[in-house]
Amino acid sequence: MFLEERESTHVYKQQVMFSKEELERRESLCVHEEPAYCNAACPLKLDTKAMVKAVAAGDWAKALQLYEKITPFPHILSAGCEAPCEGKCKLCQLGEGVAIRELERAVVRFGEKIRRGLPRMKKKKTVAIFGSGLFCTFLAGELNKKAYPVTVFCREDSAEEFLSRETAFVPAEGMAASAAVLKGMDIQFRFGSDPADMESLRRDFDIVCCQWGLAEVSDGDNALMYSREKKLVTGQTTGVLDAAFGAKKAALTVDRLAQNLDPSNTRGEEGSVSTRLYTDLSEVPPSRRLIGGEPCTKEQAEAEAARCIQCTCDACVKACAYLQHYRKFPRTLTREIYNNVNIIMGDHMMNKPINACSLCGQCSVVCPNGYDVAEICHIARQTLVTTGKMPLAPHEFALMDMLFSNGEAFLCRPQPGFEKCRYVFFPGCQATAIAPDTVAAAYADLCARLDGGVALMLGCCGAICDWAGRYEMYDEARAFLDAQLEKLGDPIVIAGCPTCKKELSGHGGLKLTGIWDILNEIGLPETARGMEVPAALHDACGARGDEPTQQAIRNLAEAMGCALVDTPYDRDQSPCCGYGGLTQYTNREVAKAMTRKCLERSDLPYISYCMACRDRFAREGRESRHILELVYGTNAGSPPDISQKRYNRLSLKAELLREIWNEETQEVDIGFKIEYTPEVLRLMNDRMILKSDIIGVLQELRKTGEAVLDAETGLCVARARLGNVTFWVKYEEIEDGYRVCGAYSHRMSVIRRQG
Amino acid sequence: MAEKNYYTVDPLGKLMCMKCRVPLEKGKAKFLYLDNGFPVELPVCPRCGFVYVPEELALGKVQAVERALEDK
Ligand code: SF4
Ligand code: SF4
Ligand SMILES: [Zn+2]
Repeated sequence: MFLEERESTHVYKQQVMFSKEELERRESLCVHEEPAYCNAACPLKLDTKAMVKAVAAGDWAKALQLYEKITPFPHILSAGCEAPCEGKCKLCQLGEGVAIRELERAVVRFGEKIRRGLPRMKKKKTVAIFGSGLFCTFLAGELNKKAYPVTVFCREDSAEEFLSRETAFVPAEGMAASAAVLKGMDIQFRFGSDPADMESLRRDFDIVCCQWGLAEVSDGDNALMYSREKKLVTGQTTGVLDAAFGAKKAALTVDRLAQNLDPSNTRGEEGSVSTRLYTDLSEVPPSRRLIGGEPCTKEQAEAEAARCIQCTCDACVKACAYLQHYRKFPRTLTREIYNNVNIIMGDHMMNKPINACSLCGQCSVVCPNGYDVAEICHIARQTLVTTGKMPLAPHEFALMDMLFSNGEAFLCRPQPGFEKCRYVFFPGCQATAIAPDTVAAAYADLCARLDGGVALMLGCCGAICDWAGRYEMYDEARAFLDAQLEKLGDPIVIAGCPTCKKELSGHGGLKLTGIWDILNEIGLPETARGMEVPAALHDACGARGDEPTQQAIRNLAEAMGCALVDTPYDRDQSPCCGYGGLTQYTNREVAKAMTRKCLERSDLPYISYCMACRDRFAREGRESRHILELVYGTNAGSPPDISQKRYNRLSLKAELLREIWNEETQEVDIGFKIEYTPEVLRLMNDRMILKSDIIGVLQELRKTGEAVLDAETGLCVARARLGNVTFWVKYEEIEDGYRVCGAYSHRMSVIRRQG
Repeated sequence: MAEKNYYTVDPLGKLMCMKCRVPLEKGKAKFLYLDNGFPVELPVCPRCGFVYVPEELALGKVQAVERALEDK
């Protein structure tokens, strides 16, 4: 039985994963790029988070640079800013928020100024400002920055005097520094003039601004800081921050007027914003402010800034080894996958990431907004299958394994003495491969203690082709299983594996339970014995969202006397062991990282209730037991290799047929002997070469006599094309057969060519 | 003009066809995958035409090309 290779690289079909709108809807779920709470609160759009980070790192020049971005007069603003950011600091929820205002003052005190670039060309349109006070001061600074030729008409007689109105709160050094800043600006002052003469003086200027109250304005507009009636840029402000913000809005209005546009034209987002950011505080200890009152030292400020937790959402990346491996947030990942799947020609370089996700859905649970990367990767896989661009190579072994489970190794029988059964036990393909004795014991127990007959079905639930995105194969597998169940009289399926249970729950109308539920109901068998030492319970990713199953397992474990220790990311939040989604086959590195991530939660032995988890944990060297091994006093021991897994399934089937149904299975005699060096067995497992592949090659050799002798090694090499793969076997002849010393394979076929 | 060969393996007289009992020679062959062809020179039996793909080639260059084509 072989699978069809993917389509030619020269066939181009198009199919999109979903609409652009759907893409945007999904992307918008992620709040990772939302502004931090402090940033969002600042109407001047200070990148507070970055500034605080710079202070914590002792980079005062950078901190000042960030602060100067929002104001031409940092001394004045920092001295009087009401700092709405402080109340929004996330740390307020735990204790005291970061003392942002004190930090800003420290930044202005200690920050070394970075030299500015060359002065820019002045703009053509001229601007006049009448009056003084905070609004006029900030506005003059903003317009200077925008390179307008600015003339200020004020009653005062000097720059110092001009600045002194409404700034009593600024300390003397701050005033002196601000005066120096003002004098360094390219602004024309008409000191000692009477702003009340505005009407006669204004005709020489293109745009006119004034202090609030200088002219009688009946259509004041604080959003634009503009009176259309009087053609005056002005507005009422209260406090320093509001004046600074008003000046910013006014400067933007000047821009619009200078371009002969309506002032309300294309202004973009102004002022403070709301943020949807989510930040997990569960691991943050409460803390108190380290500064306040007295002006602080550099060191004190740096220590206070170090309290900042740099609010961001990274709940998914923190939890998931796959996202960590690719160093991508779901939003970026989604966009890249979407664009790459939709291309018709060229490299599908996102295939690897698409196929490396374990489809476990942990992201959708740890994310505050339920971002579901699994679903995106799953749809991507199905789309690639549709367009013929899904490589077969990474999934072929697993898919063939499934065909084997539902073919040669498949078994479906009613309990002897029953034609139709009330139940059918469905242990799952991994249990039969990894722990056949446990399966046999469980089935015997169920038969002995349940009424109405318990049938047995050894096979695969179809998860493999579902994960591979092969939806047509999945439909076939489903129809196959349903037909078998019908023959048994549509019994209640007793799943032995939470993933099987989940997959089978997709078959409409099927009655379904877990062996754990049955055992809780009928009680434990005599063989049941908990572990001697405390253990960590690893929830199967297949049981995500299935609280009753998670609880049933705990009840069983506790009834056996297991001392279970709580771990982070348990129950619904549990990560995948690396088997799910076929990650184990498509990307061993990521799968290994997933296993390690599971194991880093505890140093204790692990109890799991999915055989794949049990297998992968044991492979990493951890003491690892499946709950059913504890229930039935069995121990599957060290993990089997890929050929052993197949052998286990076949021999379990043969053994059960013989012992329960009195049927003998004919052992096929290949007619010759094969020995394997230990080295080659390791190699074969690593290269996914089965003993049955080796047999295939040697049978071909016996038929054709085709082989090559390598004088250098003294070994012969034979080959056979089996399905989509050419296997090569290095061997030496022994009595009645062969000793296999090497094996390798490739997918390309090779032919002779003429000329 | 000589045709481009993507790869050449010379048997250097160290390989023998077991069936024909003659040494393999450097001969013309072609790899095929997903509708793409790559001319190469590999050890070939001059009599029966057996084409030999050495392990290093299979696990090196051949695998790399396979991977690249699979994602096309
Ligand atoms: S958990 Fe991840 S996907 Fe969800 S909002 Fe946070 S960063 Fe975005
Ligand atoms: S903890 Fe830091 S980043 Fe978060 S709100 Fe407070 S100051 Fe801003
Ligand atoms: Zn030959």
